[in-house]
Amino acid sequence: MSTDVSTDELHDVAPADWHGAVAAAHATGFTFFDWLSAVDRTYDEAAPGYDVVLRALALQRRDSVTGDQVAGVHGIRIATRVPEGASLASVTDVYAGAAWHERETHEMFGVEFEGFDDGSGSGLRPLLLPDGFEGTPLRKSFVLAARASKQWPGGKEPGEGHDSAKSPSRRRVQAPGVPDPSWGPRES
Amino acid sequence: MSDVSDVTHDRSVPLPMPRVGPVGEHAPKPIRVVLNWGRRYSLWVFNFGLACCAIEFIAASMGRHDFIRLGVIPFAPGPRQADLMVVSGTVTDKMAPAIRRLYDQMPEPKYVISFGACSNSGGPYWDSYSVTKGVDQLIPVDVYVPGCPPRPEALLHGIIRLQEQIAGERLSGRAIAERLGGAGRLGPADGEGAAAPRYTAHRTGSAAEVTRARVEPPR
Repeated sequence: MSTDVSTDELHDVAPADWHGAVAAAHATGFTFFDWLSAVDRTYDEAAPGYDVVLRALALQRRDSVTGDQVAGVHGIRIATRVPEGASLASVTDVYAGAAWHERETHEMFGVEFEGFDDGSGSGLRPLLLPDGFEGTPLRKSFVLAARASKQWPGGKEPGEGHDSAKSPSRRRVQAPGVPDPSWGPRES
Repeated sequence: MSDVSDVTHDRSVPLPMPRVGPVGEHAPKPIRVVLNWGRRYSLWVFNFGLACCAIEFIAASMGRHDFIRLGVIPFAPGPRQADLMVVSGTVTDKMAPAIRRLYDQMPEPKYVISFGACSNSGGPYWDSYSVTKGVDQLIPVDVYVPGCPPRPEALLHGIIRLQEQIAGERLSGRAIAERLGGAGRLGPADGEGAAAPRYTAHRTGSAAEVTRARVEPPR
């Protein structure tokens, strides 16, 4: 028995099959759009990129084999790994509510959505970030301005104080957003 | 559509410098004491509640702590009727132009209390990409109340400190101009006509003024 408490169906698809998989989920009863976001997996050397994940719910659903009514709310999670710089087909034509989530994913992770349409004709514009913000702040490669100018006074970084030969390379244990030692010493 | 975006994209608007009436400015000391006494015990407060600190502010306004006994009246219908703004909570860069705009709408004399670690300095979110490192980057602050969140008693103490400050102050147009001059910076959009420093400092800030540029690694 799995210890995973989630009962969601999980599907990993190729970026080219993304739109088809989402449309198929919608057609089989997952009509309630929950959320869409991304996960930075650029550190994965086998397939670096961003995992775009969509979750949808089926409020009433028939079993695809027996045709019986299945009790309870069922979830589905569809994920795809988008390589850096590639774009993904937008699912706003399947779930209109995905428009806000695609805009947020675009501004936070820099993932492009092709064919995005929220009815305004204005395209993928910033949703939450202030005017004039540069960069995609939820990428692990985004360096925080405050961290670059000042060290955390408490000295509580992961790996700090364990700087021995036994510990893994310092770069690996560093928290995202913290500039690496090549930036030089910071004011403390 | 373009009309709407003109309103929401906060443009820098030069405003006339607020001043104190001649009677108030040149009043002899006994009259000034009376004016300050009236001012310090009738602080209509505008709560700029942005996060959990606002709950402590509400607690301070309720029966147990009751800051109305100090003359702080939490029923200002809006910033245009308020004397004191209490910024309680996490100030974000997205919210910053709104704070500046509402502060600019308050009539002089006006006072600001920064309540809690977040509005003092960014607090636990000091390294966030979206949090402003202290509300004093936007508006002049009179009293800082430390804590995360501060207890209601700390706000009462901050109010008493502010009242002591008001009791000793001498209001003048020059003092107001100097105070606002610290917060407002001139941008290139203000043009030639806005060159006199005394009258240019008071204006609404734009979002670009509080947004930091992207940080790149050194070469």
